[in-house]
Amino acid sequence: MKTLNEQISDVIGQEPVAVFMKGTPQMVMCGNSHRALQALHAAGAPITAVDILPDPRIRQELSTISGWPTIPQVFVKGELIGGADITEELFESGELRQRLDDALGADRTQDVKVVELELA
Amino acid sequence: MTIHALLDAAFPDAATLDVEDRTGTGDHFQVTVVSSDFDGLSLLDQHRRVNDALAAPLGDGSIHELRIKTKGTA
Repeated sequence: MKTLNEQISDVIGQEPVAVFMKGTPQMVMCGNSHRALQALHAAGAPITAVDILPDPRIRQELSTISGWPTIPQVFVKGELIGGADITEELFESGELRQRLDDALGADRTQDVKVVELELA
Repeated sequence: MTIHALLDAAFPDAATLDVEDRTGTGDHFQVTVVSSDFDGLSLLDQHRRVNDALAAPLGDGSIHELRIKTKGTA
């Protein structure tokens, strides 16, 4: 089994848009996670969500990798975009859609999926 | 130190430095910082500077939710 660190790095590196959040898109457990999802959805992003709540180690490992202390964290093609405030601000300025277009192409699907990490 | 004092220490030249307790419970904050320190920095790096200034209360869980608004002065 891969370590937690490896699993998180895989999600960040392999998913077009990765969102580490509290809860899932079906059951959001935090206002900031909700704001980030809404902005991404409105900008036409596909979303791969990881719930950080099942184990505190998920958040610890994630912050070690990203250098970002808070949740949610949004990554596009492996690059940290930021938390809810930045995602929202970039959406409002039109930059989020531009960055998604540049990274993923304008003709993209908007699938939403959830990845569950394996906890040892 | 309070959130405001931590930000004051990190951004002594801030043109605007505002901390709002959004819920009145002392753990949900909206902070606004306008400072020349942010000139030329990406939004991500601007927020990193604020997160760094508040690393202690973020780390020990005394901030439950943080909303950040930053701006340079240029």
